[in-house]
Amino acid sequence: MKNDIVKLSWFIVTYIVLTGFALVYLIPFIRSITASFMTWEQASRFPPEFFPNPFTLENYEKLFRLELFPRWILNSALYTGIIVFGNVILTSMAGYAFARLRFPGRDALFSVLLALLMIPGFVTLVPNYIIIYKLGLVDNILGLALLSIADVSSIFLMRQYYASFPSDLFEAARLDGCGPVKAFFYIAFPLGKPAIGAVAVYQFLGAWNAFLGPLVFLRTPENFTLPVGLSFAFQRSMWVEYTPIIAGSVLAAMPTLILFVTLNKYLIRGIVITGGKG
Amino acid sequence: MKKFFIFLHSYYDKAQTKEFIGGMLLILGAAFFNLVFGYFSAIFAVYLSFMKWDYIGPMEFVGFKNYEIVLRDLYRGIIGAPYLLTPFFTGFKNIIIYTLMVVPAQTFLALILAALANQRIRGAQFYKLAYFLPGTTCPVIISLIFIWLFMKKGFINYMIQFFAPGFAPDWLNDRNYLLPAIAIVAIWGTSGHFTVSFLAALQAIPRDLYEAAMLDGAGPIRRFIFITIPLLRPMIVYVVVMGVIGALQMFDLAWVMAGSSGGPGGSGYTIALDIYNEAFTRLRPGVAAAKSLFLFTIIFITTYLFQKRYGKVIR
Repeated sequence: MKNDIVKLSWFIVTYIVLTGFALVYLIPFIRSITASFMTWEQASRFPPEFFPNPFTLENYEKLFRLELFPRWILNSALYTGIIVFGNVILTSMAGYAFARLRFPGRDALFSVLLALLMIPGFVTLVPNYIIIYKLGLVDNILGLALLSIADVSSIFLMRQYYASFPSDLFEAARLDGCGPVKAFFYIAFPLGKPAIGAVAVYQFLGAWNAFLGPLVFLRTPENFTLPVGLSFAFQRSMWVEYTPIIAGSVLAAMPTLILFVTLNKYLIRGIVITGGKG
Repeated sequence: MKKFFIFLHSYYDKAQTKEFIGGMLLILGAAFFNLVFGYFSAIFAVYLSFMKWDYIGPMEFVGFKNYEIVLRDLYRGIIGAPYLLTPFFTGFKNIIIYTLMVVPAQTFLALILAALANQRIRGAQFYKLAYFLPGTTCPVIISLIFIWLFMKKGFINYMIQFFAPGFAPDWLNDRNYLLPAIAIVAIWGTSGHFTVSFLAALQAIPRDLYEAAMLDGAGPIRRFIFITIPLLRPMIVYVVVMGVIGALQMFDLAWVMAGSSGGPGGSGYTIALDIYNEAFTRLRPGVAAAKSLFLFTIIFITTYLFQKRYGKVIR
């Protein structure tokens, strides 16, 4: 009897703590979404109000009246597209070769690449800027994308995935006279879909949310991506009110929110494989 | 000529060389980009740190002068010069305080939340989703939202009122509260991410262990301390190491919430901001390279010592 009371109160405490923290994590999102439909006069009121009254689309209109904003969306999409596509192709090829093909120096090269994970991005930032500058690709989305087009942790993830297959499969293809490159395109690539999906999702998040790279390598406002553009708009005080910034933030967070809601199982599983490099 | 091609073809046809060439072809792209933008750049950074340069004129070898600038900055900061004279020291001091605030808090919070959500309860999936959401959102966007929430008459001060009446600092314009505000945003943004890492590790712990402990009469808190924590140790080490690496390089939040010069009194200035300013506003890439190598050394030493003391991170 006493035991039951202890158990029950433990359950109640658990739920209170879990729900409390869920609110802490969710309220900023809910509050920004509702505030993006408010006038600034209402959104800045104290004590805060939670329902838009009057309901207005003015903030979004103001955003799109700024000609730069649609360009930032396009730039972000282009940058993310190149990164996701490049990583899917390059890292799945490399991961397959590192896991399945035998050639001299394979493991040494893999360790050399893996060691790159230890070097913080700030060490390579300035030299990379100089390289890209010498190539004449500063202020160019393509030049920026080259820097992270073959992410080492993606190579690692792909290699681990391909290494988990039984070797009979690739052995059989080899005996049938299927060369290593052909085997990659006809067998390994289609088989690698789950891991390729994880790479694509992680690279999407990384590229869509990237800030330091775009900030350094993109120079003119027309070429900015969304995060850089929004922080630029904020620092230049493009609007008297703060609500357009909130609306812009909501729009910029939408793709990752939607991706998360639809593919969360995938993402959470991916964390287990990569160990959570976000 | 034809003979040459026949030779080439027969050479390629040998299984071994086929595999070698195929492997090279498949690895080429990934290896090339990483060797150029990773290794070459890292070596170039070391080279650059001994050079005086302004991006345009010729490079000039100056020996350890760039490192001397960094060390003098640190020395001046220690004897108490104002922050404008000692940007690197200010950033260094702030980032250490910030790391000491963020890493323990986010690790502890993530651990507790994961342990609670790992019980057999309804709606565990919902909680997982709610906690993980901030981790997938862009830090810049999070900062922009929190600038508004942290305003003097903003939402956070309104909520605080219920717990600590009368406490309503102007977070982002007060030099005493700017860094804690950034730390709060960082903890909010990353703890959920690590919660999911812990949950994954928790699910690998066999349930029998808990059941055996329960039969022996151990309550939930004792089970947590004597079973969960020891078995989770590798994951805790991993989360702390990753947290430290991330915290020491913090840039996005400070850039947006404090501005590139670090806000009032430089109270939101970080090493990362200083490297950026050195390279792209003061236009001294050599000094920036020296500072970045200094940052690398700090990260390497702290994570190395931590792993030596508490066990290696398994990748």
